Amino acid sequence: MSKGKARVPEAGQWPDRLAIPALAAGTVLTSAAFLLAFLYAAPVNGAALDAPELVGGVMVTHQQLISQKIFYFHMPVAIVSFAALAFAAYYGIRYLSTREARFDTCSRVAMEISLLFVVFTMVTGDLWTRFEWGVWWTWEPRLTTYLILMLIVIAYFVMRNAVDDPERRAVFASVISIIALVDVPICFMITRLIPSSVHPVITREGGMAPDMALTVVVALVGMMLVAFGLYRLRFREARLEERVQALKEQLDG
Amino acid sequence: MNPILADIYSTVIPSALFVIAAYVLVWAVLLIYVIKVVRGLKKTEEQIAVLEEAVRASRPPQG
Repeated sequence: MSKGKARVPEAGQWPDRLAIPALAAGTVLTSAAFLLAFLYAAPVNGAALDAPELVGGVMVTHQQLISQKIFYFHMPVAIVSFAALAFAAYYGIRYLSTREARFDTCSRVAMEISLLFVVFTMVTGDLWTRFEWGVWWTWEPRLTTYLILMLIVIAYFVMRNAVDDPERRAVFASVISIIALVDVPICFMITRLIPSSVHPVITREGGMAPDMALTVVVALVGMMLVAFGLYRLRFREARLEERVQALKEQLDG
Repeated sequence: MNPILADIYSTVIPSALFVIAAYVLVWAVLLIYVIKVVRGLKKTEEQIAVLEEAVRASRPPQG
């Protein structure tokens, strides 16, 4: 490698060997989180009952808000979507500074993973909203900023399909990935700036109980591993597709 | 039914469908995505093998 040339990620490097174990470990941890959510983490209490009632050997004094269990997947997938967007923007910046097409491939794959997790966040959040509030959508600050984030990610792929010139496409894509990352702290901080009952600021409200925190951490680590495994598999596929294209051009030439 | 139990189940039973849907959707979409990527990988590897063979065959014999 010549001096000063950027090191580029490639399929077949050591992270690829971790892709399948990461996916397997992620599956185990998310399954464990699912079990912890229902069997270990205490249900959140709703309104007080007129009188306590013994159910399954447990004295129940309040309504049980089972819909809150969605939170144990909802929060981790949201954090993973932010992390994937951070990687997409990082590779976008690397592309803009080096004009090395490989970084554009990395950014595109990271963006694809982030889209997957953004959709998970929206769907799980909407299912909770639908049950608790009786509506599929409400113009609440975080929902609105996260919707904008999802639209930016979708716009990224619409733009990629609309621009034919690879270099222009990569430049535009890199800029959009950076814009998407700018929306991440806005999404994160918005409930601190504009208080919302739908998205409470957990740290401000005394933090999570240890059983809830453990469940969230297990789900978060599991989702991170799943996202990493998916990223490496998809990156390998993208690199092979580029190799197929190069071979076809070689044959045509 | 005991009115207290009915009060307890009034939040548990209707929400079960939404909770199950949330978990099933996440896992099902992840599974479909993994299957799509793995199948895509296999297909692309097969294409590469065929194309490499074609490139070798198209080269003029050396010597």
